[in-house]
Order: sequence, then structure tokens, then C-alpha cells
Amino acid sequence: MFDNFKNDGFMYMIVLAVIIFVCAQALFFMRKAWVRGKELGISTDALKNAVTSSAFFSFAPAIGIAITVISLSVALGYVLPWIRLTVIGAIQYETTAAIGALQAATGDPSANIATAVEDPQIFSEIVWVMTLGSILPLILIPIVLKKIQKGVSDVASKNSKWMDIMTAAAFIGLMAAFIGKGLMGMGSKTEPKIGDGAGVLSLTALIFSTGFMIFFTLINKKLKKNWIDALAMPVSMALAMAVVVLLNKFAPSIAQIEWRY
Amino acid sequence: MKKTYMDKVHTWGRIWCIASLLFFLSIPVAVSLHLDITPRMEIIGKGLAALLIFFITGIIEVVAYSPMLGAGGTYLSFVSGNIMNLKMPCAINAMENAKVKANTEEGEVITTIAISSSIVVTTIVIAITVVAFALNPSFSELMASDTFAPAFQQVTYTIFGSLAAGYFVKHWKISIFPIAAVTLLLVFVDPGIGVLIPVGVVLSMLGAHVLYKLKKV
Repeated sequence: MFDNFKNDGFMYMIVLAVIIFVCAQALFFMRKAWVRGKELGISTDALKNAVTSSAFFSFAPAIGIAITVISLSVALGYVLPWIRLTVIGAIQYETTAAIGALQAATGDPSANIATAVEDPQIFSEIVWVMTLGSILPLILIPIVLKKIQKGVSDVASKNSKWMDIMTAAAFIGLMAAFIGKGLMGMGSKTEPKIGDGAGVLSLTALIFSTGFMIFFTLINKKLKKNWIDALAMPVSMALAMAVVVLLNKFAPSIAQIEWRY
Repeated sequence: MKKTYMDKVHTWGRIWCIASLLFFLSIPVAVSLHLDITPRMEIIGKGLAALLIFFITGIIEVVAYSPMLGAGGTYLSFVSGNIMNLKMPCAINAMENAKVKANTEEGEVITTIAISSSIVVTTIVIAITVVAFALNPSFSELMASDTFAPAFQQVTYTIFGSLAAGYFVKHWKISIFPIAAVTLLLVFVDPGIGVLIPVGVVLSMLGAHVLYKLKKV
């Protein structure tokens, strides 16, 4: 665990500080929003529902993120990917950033995240690249966010029906991108992995998660229980993941068929 | 004049954002000092050049996602990251459950609470899992094995499959075009999810606007 400069006590101190900082910010905003929610007349049940549903919902993706930490740990140790995926980072960004920095620092265009970084000089430069490459939104947001929100709010007050449709369309566009990716998305060219291109696994995940969600929605139309609403999505995800794991375990020759790789 | 809740959110958000920026920038400084290294600027420049597309998508993300995340949700999400695969679906799901709309103060409250909760849980789960991996390499090898790793590649699809179930049923008229268009685009070229999302959002909004003008929605 503390085997070299990438995983030494100092690095663990940094990740601890990051965890405290990120959680403090989240709890600060949660407290303020909760108080405002009560003032607006939102029921305690609805507020609690938002907390519990999101908490359960986040469980499986968090484990997925932790697995990304593992895949980056060969090159960078555990702590740097852990820090990067706790702040600003995103799965698709961090791998690219690590490879880009590694290739620039080693001068080897074939260097990838399977190459262990043993030179503190290169490691330090990777930390700089991964950090500087990701901070632009933190500079932009304090400058532009209030103006964007005001613009949206003005449009919403002028034509609320159009705004509702556009908001729904924006959400659907986002979902369409991921669903399209699951149906026809290519796997990674630089770091190919089993299951990263559209294939039986991605299709199974999409079909079963949708099917379980429809099942719970229909059940709750009869039972009308708030807790079913809160748990429907995380449970649908978990059950779909279980189907994917079992399929991959017991029928890998079928499960790992990819039509886009 | 008395400050509204939204004004206060922007004030708190800006303070936290600037504090985050300074804190995150101090990490490479601290690592370089700790390792007694002077980083080479030309290497950092080359590394950043490889990330040019992320600077562009970073700008697009701020403009495109902030109306959906709400103000508090945006300040929180861009500090903690994993927006598309975690924070945004969380916010959408919470608004659906609470039956509140985006771009209202009720929506703002619910998305902020949902995203805060997600951040705390995600941070704790990642911490526990990574420490477990670090202490027990065989567990790490099992999770990275061909049995589990390909399955965990599909987490994002389980998120969006379950999220889409309710959404597409409710808004099926405006859903068909963007899904068909994005899938068709992917047959010819896959620009990566960072580009695909803004493309999907723009196509979807254009399609919905046409249907609105034709009075079909």
C-alpha cells in the first residue's frame, strides 16, 4: 500500500485532504438546499427521497470508477488516479490525460497506462498535465454561470411550454448519445478492452435496465409507494449489472461478441 | 436589496469554485516540492496539447449542462467531476421522483440535494474500494479480471437504460429522432462521447423545436 513514491504517506495525506474538501462542499450545499426546500414547502419525505435515491444510485457507478483507478494504478499508483477521479475527473478524460502526459514525458508514442512510471520527474509532470488539463471549467463557471442561468430563466418565464420541451429534449439528447453508443459505439483504439465496444454486453445492459425499470414503474402504479420510486432506478441498475456479470461469467463466448470494436 | 436564494447560491458557488481551483492547483505544486522536482514546461505543454479537445468540450459542457444541473448542481458537479455518467442522471432521476421541473427553485433544491448526496456516497465508496484494492491485490485482480471488468464497462448503459425507460415513454415523440440520428451517425463515425453528447443534445433540441413549431408536441 505504501510501496513507492506514488503511494507514499504524503500522497495519502493529499487524498485525505481532497476527500474532506469535496465532502465538506457537498454537505454545505446540501444543508443550504434542505433549509430552502423546507421554506418552499417541499415535504421532508421528498427531500429524504432525493438523498436516499441518489445514494443508492451512486453505488454501482462508484465501484466502476474505482475499477478505473485500478486500471490506471499500474502506471500511476493508486493515489493519483484516486485523487483525479474524486475531483473534476471523468473516466473518459483521465485515461486520455494520463496517456498524453506519459507519451509527452517519455517521448515514446507507444507508451500507455500499462507502462509503470518509475521516474519521479515524469510522475510529477503527469500530475501537472492531468491537473492543468481539467481546470478550465472551474475558471469559466464563476464568470459565466450566473449569466447562463439568468438567460435560461428569462426564456423560461416568457414561454414556459417551449422551455419545458427544450429541457426534456436536452435530457433526451444526452440519453440518446449513451444509448447510441451502447448500440453502435466503437471500442477504444488506444486502450482496447473486452466490452468497451457496442456488443452483446452493452445491449444486455440497456435492455435489462430498461425492462426492470418499466417493471418497477408498473408495480408502483398499483402500490403507489414513495420508497419504490426512490429505489426503482438503483435496483434496476443493480439487477441489470447482475445479469451482465452472470452472462459474462457463464457464457463469455456469446457475451463478449462485439459488433463495434 | 435583499439577496434571493439563487443570488446566494452563486455567491457560495463562486467562493467554493475559486477555493477548489486554488486547492487543486496546489496539488501538483505540493507533489513537485515533495519529490524535489522542477517540472519541464515543454513536457507539460506537449501533454496539454494532447488534451486540446477536452478544453473545447470543457467549454461546451459548461454552457450545455448548467441549465440541466441547476446552479448549485453545476458548482458541485464541476468540482467533483463524473458529470455525465453520474451527477446528471442523479439530478434527472431526483427531479422525476420529486415531480419538479428543471429551471425552477424547487428543481434547484432537489438537484442540489441529489448531487450532494451522490458526491458524498461516491467519494466514500471509491475510498473504501481503492483501500480494499490496495490492501488486497487478489481482490484487485479479481475485479480487473475478464469476468468482472467487462461487466463494469456497462455501468453507464444500465444508468441510461433505466433512466430512459420513464423518459422515453413520456416524451416518445421527441425521442425517436435523436436516438435514430445519433445511432446512424455512429455507423459512420464515432467521435467519442465528449463530442457525441453535445451533438445529441443539439439534434434533439432541433428536432423538438421543429415538432413544437408544427404543433405536434
